[in-house]
Amino acid sequence: MADPANTPLGQMLLDEITPVVMVLGTPLVEEACLKNGINFVQMLSPFCAFNNIDVPVRTASDQPYRLQKFKLRLFYASDIRQPNLEVARERLKQLIIQAGEKDLSELSSDPPPTNYEHNGSESENLPSWFQFFNKELVRSASFSDHEAFDHPVACLLVVSSKDEQPINQFVDLFNNNKLPSLLNDGAMDPKILKHYLLVHDNQDGSTEKSARILTEMRSTFGSDCQLLCINSSEDGLVEHHDDPWALYKSDASPGQNVGCFLNVDDLNEMKDIMQDLSTKHIIPYMEQKIRVLNQQVSATRKGFRNQIKNLWWRKGKDEVADLSNGPMYTFSSIESQIRALGDYAFMLRDYELALSNYRLISTDYKLDKAWKRYAGVQEMTGLTYFMLDQSRKEAEYCMENAFNTYLKIGPSSQQNATRCGLWWVEMLKTRDQFKEAAMVYFRVCGEETLNSAVMLEQAAYCYLLSKPPMLHKYGFHLVLSGERYKKSDQIKHAIRTYKSAISVYKETRWSHIKDHVHFNIGQWYANLGRYDLAASHILEVLACSHQSKATQDIFLRHFLQIVQKTGKTFEVPKLQLPEINISFLKVIFEDHRTYASATAASVKESIWRSLEEDLVPSLSTARTNWLELHSRVLPTKYKESNVCVAGEAVRVDIEFKNPLQIPISVSGVSLICELFGSSDETKSDGNNLAGEFQNDDGSVETTSGEMSNKSSSFSLSKVDFSLEGGETIMVQLTVTPTIEGILQIIGVRWNLSGAVVGFHNFESNPIKKRSSEGRQRANRSGDNLKFVVIKSLPKVEGFIRPLPTSAYAGDVRQLVLELRNHSECAVKNLKMKVSHPRFLNIGSRESLNVEFPACLEKKRSEHNNVRHNPSNMSQPVFLFPEDTIIKGESPLLWPLWFRAAVPGNIFLYITIYYEIEDTSSAMRYRTLCMHYNLQVLPSLDISFQVSPCPSKLQEFLVQMDIINKTSTESFQVHQLSSVGEKWAISLRQPVNTDFPSQCLMAGQSLSCFFMLKDQRRSGTSEDKTSLSQQVGSVVGLGPQGTIESLFDTSSSPLADFHSRERMLEESSHQSDSTVDFILISRPLKSDPDSVLDVDIFSLLGCSIASTSPISWHVDGPRTLYHNFSSSFCEIRLSMTIYNSSNSIASVRINTVDSSGNLSESTSPQSATSSGNQVGWHDVSLVTDIKVTSDVLGTRSIKPPSLDSVSSFVWSAASSTRVQIKPMSMAKIPLQICAFSPGTYDLSNYMLHWNLLLPDGEVNLDEGTRQSAGTCQGYPYYLTVLQST
Amino acid sequence: MGREVSESCVDSLLTELVSTYSTRFYANKPDLAAHSIEAIGYQVGLQLSERYTMDRPRFSDHLEAIKFICKDFWSELFKKQIDNLKTNHRGTFVLQDSRFRWLSRVSIDPSENGDVSEDNPAGVAENKASLVTKMHLNFPCGIIRGALSNLGIPCAVSADISNLPACSFVVRIKV
Amino acid sequence: MIVCVAVVGHQNNPLYIESFTDADDALKLHHIVHCSLDVVDEQVNNPKKSGPTLNETFLGLLYPTENYKVYGYFTNTKVKFILVTTDLDVRDTDVRNFFRRFHAAYVDAVSNPFHVPGKKITSKTFEKG
Repeated sequence: MADPANTPLGQMLLDEITPVVMVLGTPLVEEACLKNGINFVQMLSPFCAFNNIDVPVRTASDQPYRLQKFKLRLFYASDIRQPNLEVARERLKQLIIQAGEKDLSELSSDPPPTNYEHNGSESENLPSWFQFFNKELVRSASFSDHEAFDHPVACLLVVSSKDEQPINQFVDLFNNNKLPSLLNDGAMDPKILKHYLLVHDNQDGSTEKSARILTEMRSTFGSDCQLLCINSSEDGLVEHHDDPWALYKSDASPGQNVGCFLNVDDLNEMKDIMQDLSTKHIIPYMEQKIRVLNQQVSATRKGFRNQIKNLWWRKGKDEVADLSNGPMYTFSSIESQIRALGDYAFMLRDYELALSNYRLISTDYKLDKAWKRYAGVQEMTGLTYFMLDQSRKEAEYCMENAFNTYLKIGPSSQQNATRCGLWWVEMLKTRDQFKEAAMVYFRVCGEETLNSAVMLEQAAYCYLLSKPPMLHKYGFHLVLSGERYKKSDQIKHAIRTYKSAISVYKETRWSHIKDHVHFNIGQWYANLGRYDLAASHILEVLACSHQSKATQDIFLRHFLQIVQKTGKTFEVPKLQLPEINISFLKVIFEDHRTYASATAASVKESIWRSLEEDLVPSLSTARTNWLELHSRVLPTKYKESNVCVAGEAVRVDIEFKNPLQIPISVSGVSLICELFGSSDETKSDGNNLAGEFQNDDGSVETTSGEMSNKSSSFSLSKVDFSLEGGETIMVQLTVTPTIEGILQIIGVRWNLSGAVVGFHNFESNPIKKRSSEGRQRANRSGDNLKFVVIKSLPKVEGFIRPLPTSAYAGDVRQLVLELRNHSECAVKNLKMKVSHPRFLNIGSRESLNVEFPACLEKKRSEHNNVRHNPSNMSQPVFLFPEDTIIKGESPLLWPLWFRAAVPGNIFLYITIYYEIEDTSSAMRYRTLCMHYNLQVLPSLDISFQVSPCPSKLQEFLVQMDIINKTSTESFQVHQLSSVGEKWAISLRQPVNTDFPSQCLMAGQSLSCFFMLKDQRRSGTSEDKTSLSQQVGSVVGLGPQGTIESLFDTSSSPLADFHSRERMLEESSHQSDSTVDFILISRPLKSDPDSVLDVDIFSLLGCSIASTSPISWHVDGPRTLYHNFSSSFCEIRLSMTIYNSSNSIASVRINTVDSSGNLSESTSPQSATSSGNQVGWHDVSLVTDIKVTSDVLGTRSIKPPSLDSVSSFVWSAASSTRVQIKPMSMAKIPLQICAFSPGTYDLSNYMLHWNLLLPDGEVNLDEGTRQSAGTCQGYPYYLTVLQST
Repeated sequence: MGREVSESCVDSLLTELVSTYSTRFYANKPDLAAHSIEAIGYQVGLQLSERYTMDRPRFSDHLEAIKFICKDFWSELFKKQIDNLKTNHRGTFVLQDSRFRWLSRVSIDPSENGDVSEDNPAGVAENKASLVTKMHLNFPCGIIRGALSNLGIPCAVSADISNLPACSFVVRIKV
Repeated sequence: MIVCVAVVGHQNNPLYIESFTDADDALKLHHIVHCSLDVVDEQVNNPKKSGPTLNETFLGLLYPTENYKVYGYFTNTKVKFILVTTDLDVRDTDVRNFFRRFHAAYVDAVSNPFHVPGKKITSKTFEKG
């Protein structure tokens, strides 16, 4: 550690604890001095500090040492008394106030960022007026009678040379009762060193008079008399460059030039006199006095005897001592002498001596319970230790002890406590124990708020300075002191402390505290009238989502009040209220691709691209040629940026969120754009729009209107909305450029409840673009908010009516596509592509005005019926006729056929491509994207099963099961028709028997049987060209009246839909022997002529070729009545077996009574019948695919009501064998006996057949065909009823 | 803590995790997959360490923390301690587990490089298998890193497989 | 009674702070907690005079303010738990096992896979320690 004398505390002590010289002067002296604007003491004070004198001194024990630095304190005798507390306090307050005034200047500027590792000294961020303040505090405790270093050492008697009989003046200057109480009440020795000074004012003429007086004085008072001549300069124009009185004149009136009459030799004379006074008189005097005192003390106290005696004596006089403040010590009392000795020694820097005496006296005071004196001694002991720089613990202990003792005494010695505390703090600071220092500060601050505020602030700085800096406490104490400042309305200081506290909380997340600090600063600034600053601070706390609702309300209200006071609206970048969710920012603009609806705009990018691929000639070439078109029109640097069309709006979707719980009203939300006209660089940017942002009513029309007559080059839309607490809304803003050029969307701005205008710039944020170009460019170049505005183009709008939102599966409707082009410039060769051709089929223009569904009915003459051309099936793009041109107000209407093919949610995407007539325009073509989604409900669940007819080869048994899956709708089955001339379908039974009511209620199911006949020559498989021109056979299922009004399934659009389905399933499998059914039904409730329910199925019929050569069928009675009471019932049946092979077949019929033991025959039978089964499975397009995978394909036909218990026996021989000639049939009688009424399934027999090849030669041609096999019997249901 | 999970569940979970990330999500970017798996492990380690260090005195230095990882943490996870801990005293630690549980089920199929005659596909297969195994090791690496960084020790953890059930983690403490 | 409990993350960011006084002295409590962080730091960093035993998670009484007592708890994972209580005769053991429960609750909350380090949503039941 450095020399204690150089530490701040050392300095402080060296000029606070110095000999006091009491000044007694006559009024004339003052008068002479006041010419210079300063009184006598002030005039001399600068010359009382000696830094380079060299005075030899001897300690009490005769060690010589030398004093280099010395200082005298001059006081008027009238000032030598305990200063009045109120006065002191007032002075302090003034000091603080002017300090506040001073640094209000830099209040507006933020405090310097406190670097927390603060390598520099504390002076960097410590306000400079703290020293003064502390000094004042210390001074306020001076001249207490319990300590001797404030007692005057010498007395300077000053008389002016103009006084008459100055000698007498000198005498009664000292003798009259103007002496301070210290000398009178015997607290100190009244016999002190006197020094006589005669002041001569040179302006009063020559000095010989005064010289005469001086000699007279010398003769009277002895040697220590001197003459001081001042005011030597006649003209009061002396300029003191470094004003020596700067520190000392506190109350001198400013303005007048201080010391104007004192020229250089005046100053020198003063200096000499003071130096002479101190060196030649005061120091020797003190030295002398120290010796005297030391001898007395050592006489009475040193040595063991004295100690004992002293102790005993004190015990003795303990009782008499009043316990309040200990006994009263006069200067002559030994205690006072010891104390004085110590102080003198201290002042002469003989610290060992001082220390020993302090130690000596402290015990006595303690024993006497003279607490104040004890504390004072302790204090001095601590300081002495410090100056000796030894045993720090001891020093600190003493200081603390003193401090506590002072506090114990009570308010009377509050000042001393404060002084002691300050010194203690300084001591700790010097030793870098800032934390402890801060704590001491904390203890120093008493109940007096202003002082404590300052103390707390200093404490805060101590925390900051401590290593490692304790920032939290720093902030906390700053806030505390700010509070105190505020209480003792020092708002400026409060603001200062809070502002420096901000730096602590700024980057932390202690938002509660942060808000408090900011909010208070804001309010205080508002009190000071600095509304702009106030608002800027309260802005910080606006978006306080964590605060309570009430607090948010308060914040917002105050903010609005303040802003109103400011009278102007703020413009705040990145205002947090409301928040903008930038990740949801979405830019929609239309370059080549235009959207029919907003939903279409939000469709995924790839879908449109895939649709456009074969519409647009080729995207790449198209782009290149509009790029090179641009490269002529535009500067090349904009080649990359997006294209939008003048007069067409660019839409931006922004999501606003209200973080608060209180509703906020946002108005005038609009984009900030700038548009450089391509012709002239007229830049109309955000801030000339700012003018009309102020008015809160902004609807799109008015804004665009006034924009236009402001001849601005684009028009913005404005939105007003109010957000409830925590609400989030998505706002769509548009900007519509009106001239060509470069449009740049900079950001969004809004107006928070008419007070604040918030900006938000998009630039820094990544934006997902909704355009192919944008998507590509988003990663390439940042400026994807920059648009090249090209001159206006025709834009086709289109919609489909009346497209239902929900339909039943299979519904067929007639729709109309309507295209409009408002501009006069025509668009030509249109193309169209539909994403789901199964659902949407493009009709022909003729069928625009036919009535539906009558147009579908069979006509005798089919000339006007449009044959569907497979061409528009083959290529997916529909080309409108060449001559279609849309312009002006005449819309283009085009018929569409809609069929809900598959249930579920269907998204229909339609892209219409068109080219612009005039090739001069920047874009050759554009596309219109339409998007609809509709819900298709399942209606009729239909499944077919085809099984080869037992009897006839070319006939098949078709079972159709219909289940009405709808909840409410009821359908009327109208007709079933088989497609293709290959097949002819016919009803097994007349409709009415198994289908009494023609309409199928909800949930109802129905199954009916058909006979399907293959009309082609058997064997030769026929190419599918027959499918292309469609003639089919139709079975009307409707009521008799409607039978003749059958629909023609071979005409468009049904045929088209059908062939769609065909094409769909061609991919799945290929076989020639498929049969397609078209079931037409119509819902009853909804008006039938608009909707038609068409279900298209295509089933693979069983391939005849691969079945066994043996086919048979059993015929006999189906139902019969028998009286079982009489006897069991015998039923005769006959089986007809047909051998289709060209070789003799021997067939053996096994009848099994119990359907259990077919096991031995399953494997070959499964072989064949699997060959039988492979042919047919249901590929119906309706939802559920019913694949009957069981080997016995016939079992699924079995109605569930039947029980197949074989309660009958085959009464014929259990096995009969027949030989059948090729291509011939045989009849075999069968007989069963039934024992109980019931329904029997006579399928439990099997045919074992094998082909007898003539004399064993292998026929090569039919090597594939198996020569033996087993067939399970067909089901044959026989119902026997009890006859009554 | 009281609750335990059956080991097979954890194993299959880990396998699924790895396969999902390395084949489905980032099929062609193995490093990205590795990173994300490691991130998952990081989160797990963060939370586990929070729990397992609940009632124990604070660690005075890094070595103690590493020891904690080797002993208690490891045995909480794998019911066994790290078998061998090496360190150069410059912030690099090598934790060796002679039978790492999560690799005990992993096996590089010998037929993969057995029956193919030319060594090139053998090398490829071997390479591939080891890559997959490394994928599996990203997760424990992340766990270690998470635990340590939650203990205030930022570090980088890497693992390598010597021979299969054994593996060693290398912890490099960032200074 | 317990006036305030707080969980503070490893870079002194408040994870959770809850005051149980009906009066709105939340701000003061925030300040107290915030200040106590300094004490925690110094106790941890120079453990010469740190808590009862070296490196124990429980830091003991941080500092008594005029009418509060602030206790601290410092986990391995540099998470600090602060407890501000008003009743002036609290046995250390009570505070200890309060902190233990508190820590357990915190761990459970953190182990929630959907927990993102940051502001911590807790559904914990505090009881008088």
